Amino acid sequence: MGDSVRAHKELTGGWAKAAQLPQPDLSGLAIKDEHLKRALLGQDFLVVDGAMGTQLQERGLADAGQIPELLNFSHPDDIAAIHKAYVDAGAEVITTNTFGANRLKLEGAASVEEVYRAAVGCARAAGAPYIAGDVGPTGALLEPMGTMSFEEAYDLFAEQVRAVAAAGCDVVLIETMADLREAKAALLAAQENCDLPVFATMTFGEDGRTFLGTSPEVAAEVLSGMGAHAVGLNCSLGPAELLGAAQDMARRSRCPLMVQPNAGLPRVEDGVTVFDVSPEDFAAAMEGMLDAGASVIGGCCGTSPEYTRELRRMADARRVPAPRAYEPACVLCSAQEAVVLPVGVPRIAVIGERINPTGKPKLKAALRAGDLDYLVGEAVSQQELGADVLDVNVGLPELDEPAVLAAAVDKLSSTVTLPLVVDSSDPVAVEAAVRGYAGKPLINSVNGKRESLEAVLPIVKRYGCAVIGLALDEEGIPPTAEGRFAVAERIVEAAERYGIPRTDVVIDCLTMACATNQSEALEILRAVTMVKERLGVRTALGVSNISFGLPQRNMVNSTFLAAAFGCGLDMPILNPKAKRYTDTVNTFRVLNCQDAGAVEFIGEYADAADPYTAGAAGAGVAAGAAEAAQPSRAADSAAECPVAVPDSLSDAADAVRDMVHLILTGRRGPMGPATEALLKGYNPLDLVNGVFVPALDVVGQKFDKGEFFLPQLMASAEAVKVGFDVVKAHMGDSADDGVGSNAIAVATVKGDIHDIGKNIVKMLLENYGFRVVDLGRDVEPEEVLRVASEQGIRLVGLSALMTTTVRAMEQTVELLHEKLPGCKVMVGGAVLTSEYAEQIGADYYAKDAAESARIAERFFAERG
Amino acid sequence: MMVRYGRLGAGGVPNARLDRSEALRYLGYTGQQVDEALLTRFNRLADECERVIAPSFAWSVFGIDEKRTCWEAPEPAATGSPDALDAAMDAAESRSAVSSQGAGCGKGLVPQVALAGCDLVLEGNSIAGHLRGACKVALMACTLGAVSEREMRKHEAISVADGVMFGACCSALVEAAANITEDAIVRFAHDMGLSTNWRFSPGYGDLPLNVQPAFLGVLDASRRLGITVTSTNMLVPVKSVTAVLGLFDEPDNGGEARDACAVCRLRDGCELRKRGITCHGR
Repeated sequence: MGDSVRAHKELTGGWAKAAQLPQPDLSGLAIKDEHLKRALLGQDFLVVDGAMGTQLQERGLADAGQIPELLNFSHPDDIAAIHKAYVDAGAEVITTNTFGANRLKLEGAASVEEVYRAAVGCARAAGAPYIAGDVGPTGALLEPMGTMSFEEAYDLFAEQVRAVAAAGCDVVLIETMADLREAKAALLAAQENCDLPVFATMTFGEDGRTFLGTSPEVAAEVLSGMGAHAVGLNCSLGPAELLGAAQDMARRSRCPLMVQPNAGLPRVEDGVTVFDVSPEDFAAAMEGMLDAGASVIGGCCGTSPEYTRELRRMADARRVPAPRAYEPACVLCSAQEAVVLPVGVPRIAVIGERINPTGKPKLKAALRAGDLDYLVGEAVSQQELGADVLDVNVGLPELDEPAVLAAAVDKLSSTVTLPLVVDSSDPVAVEAAVRGYAGKPLINSVNGKRESLEAVLPIVKRYGCAVIGLALDEEGIPPTAEGRFAVAERIVEAAERYGIPRTDVVIDCLTMACATNQSEALEILRAVTMVKERLGVRTALGVSNISFGLPQRNMVNSTFLAAAFGCGLDMPILNPKAKRYTDTVNTFRVLNCQDAGAVEFIGEYADAADPYTAGAAGAGVAAGAAEAAQPSRAADSAAECPVAVPDSLSDAADAVRDMVHLILTGRRGPMGPATEALLKGYNPLDLVNGVFVPALDVVGQKFDKGEFFLPQLMASAEAVKVGFDVVKAHMGDSADDGVGSNAIAVATVKGDIHDIGKNIVKMLLENYGFRVVDLGRDVEPEEVLRVASEQGIRLVGLSALMTTTVRAMEQTVELLHEKLPGCKVMVGGAVLTSEYAEQIGADYYAKDAAESARIAERFFAERG
Repeated sequence: MMVRYGRLGAGGVPNARLDRSEALRYLGYTGQQVDEALLTRFNRLADECERVIAPSFAWSVFGIDEKRTCWEAPEPAATGSPDALDAAMDAAESRSAVSSQGAGCGKGLVPQVALAGCDLVLEGNSIAGHLRGACKVALMACTLGAVSEREMRKHEAISVADGVMFGACCSALVEAAANITEDAIVRFAHDMGLSTNWRFSPGYGDLPLNVQPAFLGVLDASRRLGITVTSTNMLVPVKSVTAVLGLFDEPDNGGEARDACAVCRLRDGCELRKRGITCHGR
């Protein structure tokens, strides 16, 4: 297929190999005939039909509130007639009337299998050359915006795909997807439940993205990388508006490009959706799409057989599709962003290494406590400091790594837009994490050992990932450049055997400590050059290993980093918080022309002082330090301190008053160091009971009196939390026995998705030392009961925001009281009053978060 | 008439400015002395909210189908007291919005206002009161989009205090976007020599939330704005607003006649009312 790719200018050596367009993999597929096969290879056009919905409307068959798929049973002749009109107009692919034919949307009106059978019957009656089994979105939102899990969506799609295959379709068509994660679930379901070719299209708005923020280039990279046989766009807008999106997809798509625009921008007039691009204008605008390389062509809403006739004419006139302007590149994607390193073009992408528990006690503690929010903080700070991609490693011996890694990846991909590196030596954990990831992750890592290649590469292929290959094998790490290169070459060859293009392979030549393996430093750098030039793959290096055992490690690291960039390093794995590294990266991006015109560099450094001439401090003061440096005001306001300094801490009265001030003003930054300092000379429990709790009580009183408003209460609670965390780390595991044995479960009730109130309560309760089990939002009464009884929980907090969900609250209270008589329930939420709470049988009513903490304190004090 | 769509803060259109004092009011601010650091934090979040979120909106104006409309319930019992309101609401939520044609006054239940040229029927004493005397009805929808969901989750994960403040900023921003949309409707009405009253949203008074799917359908808002509805009729993205305005022949209807709190289901426990202020600002 090299002929259909725009010839890349003068690439030699490894780059020439990397620049080839990957061949569509048609092995194992049931392909109806030679023409369809040629179409799947991008060598023939395939004309697909147009709208079903607007055609139904014209026949007066579109009844609001009716399930359109049932028309396959009630009006098969009409459906077949619509199909037939498209066949007569020259459509080769007829799309079944099954857009919403999933278990959820059919609501039991018919089985999924029956609907597809009837729909395929209609298409066959129309004489369709090829029948595409249509699969639209589930209609429910996936997590985290909605409540449907990835696997639930997968199950719905899998049922549809089995029905598509059983009914005798020739193609699976996944269309009108707005959520890349949902599209991925559907594509996996198709690939794992039938052997038909799969086409997948997403729908983009006027801002060039789907509603969930996916760009055309990301959609094409991810879906074609996973092995869809055609990818593209449909619906939303007309061909003129969608041309840019089609061109973007053509650059990233490894398979034929499919386009099905609307007949222009839809307008709703008097309750009816109308389209105003004529068949002729549609055809004229579609010329641009065909020039961009679209070869599977059809229409969506508002199109009719007249439009199909035009497309047929254009396809016949051109005979052979135009080559797509495919741009070979190493690409990593989140659902929203793509990091692109085009073949033959110097580019640096920084992999942030901070999310890795090795040597990070706070991260370890957070992972052990199941606190994934901590990871988000680490992710955002690395992003702000210039990381392009984030490494995620949660390997701790006592953790269930597959579950935690998958949860961490979910959490990060729902909060941060940077692409992720899934870092684990356990292939089971890697697969668990990449399967539901909306994007194209980089897997870290595979190595030259046969066992590793056989375990990891199938995962890379199946989920369309990129992979880091470590230059080591059964013999260990070769000491010479030639030895490392040889392993790298074997990894690249093995990847290609599995159908993974070398653009998706990144080789790590493995940094060794200069103190122990001094002679290897230059060998590593030489290996980077060899790998890059001869294999045409991108390279990664963990930088900081080089300096083990030497003084001034940052200096050694940044020098090595600069040298490695010169040898062709593309993806340094480093700590973006180290200013020295980012200085080197920013500088080299000027030298390699990535920072065109040095615009970024000048913006960042024009007014910066040279750290060697400006004095010892240099740049890179930690963010919290400025806050910490603010002068203490406790000493001169000792009389005003609302917390009496306890006797046990009387030697440190000023420090205690400073700390109370930090809590009252909600300063998280300085709270950690302040706590550390006091812990050096004093008992942690004295600190908790003599400072944290009394200060929090003062905050609570101020809140009650209206002297503090909500953010002040919370900022103070967060400052205490920082102190608590330091105390816990100091005490080790024994801390939990002392403070956390009184457990409270909190939940937002079934049907309610507003959880901020519950989250505030949770945070405050935790700061009063209670162990809080957070069940999340939209929680079934049975789930609350299950957790409460399994964990022996005696106090449950429920929140509901809407009048309509108070009923679910009432049911939950009833169920708990009936099945778990010892368990008490406190309730809160915008619509509740104390009378209302009493009415629904709740034991306590908390008018706000501070009240919930007092209820909990009283409750456990009375019961001990 | 056709549905108008638009986006703020993108493609050269300036973004809505969120009212800082309104966001603070949502957070319960009543003039407390606040540490400078916390105010800085709040302002940084407010700036970020305006920078990263581009609200989108849709609106359209409909005639009233008098044949299917019924302004008065035969038994005028279900007005006034909150208890009656609750009972009416309960009844309303158990009916469906689309299939209710003929199930309203005809069966002696509640008033209903049917819009011309579409399936939407607005049910309840409150909405009938809101639209009584109107010659046309405007429907509008606004949303902060999926970005707002992600950004709220991000801030909440890093700091619940930041999350709460950012959430309040989002609420103020979607209100600002709703104000801009409402202004467009008011201008449209004025051009036709009509006056308007104020925004009335599903879930308010006894206008049931289960009208949301049909409401969004009429504006094609799921496809054009990405607003979806959960099985319990809550809007996602959460920072979305749907609302109804009446258009009137006579000048100055609404405005001074407004007592929005009268039909509000939260009025008894409302902290803002206790302080003598309202949530709707204008």
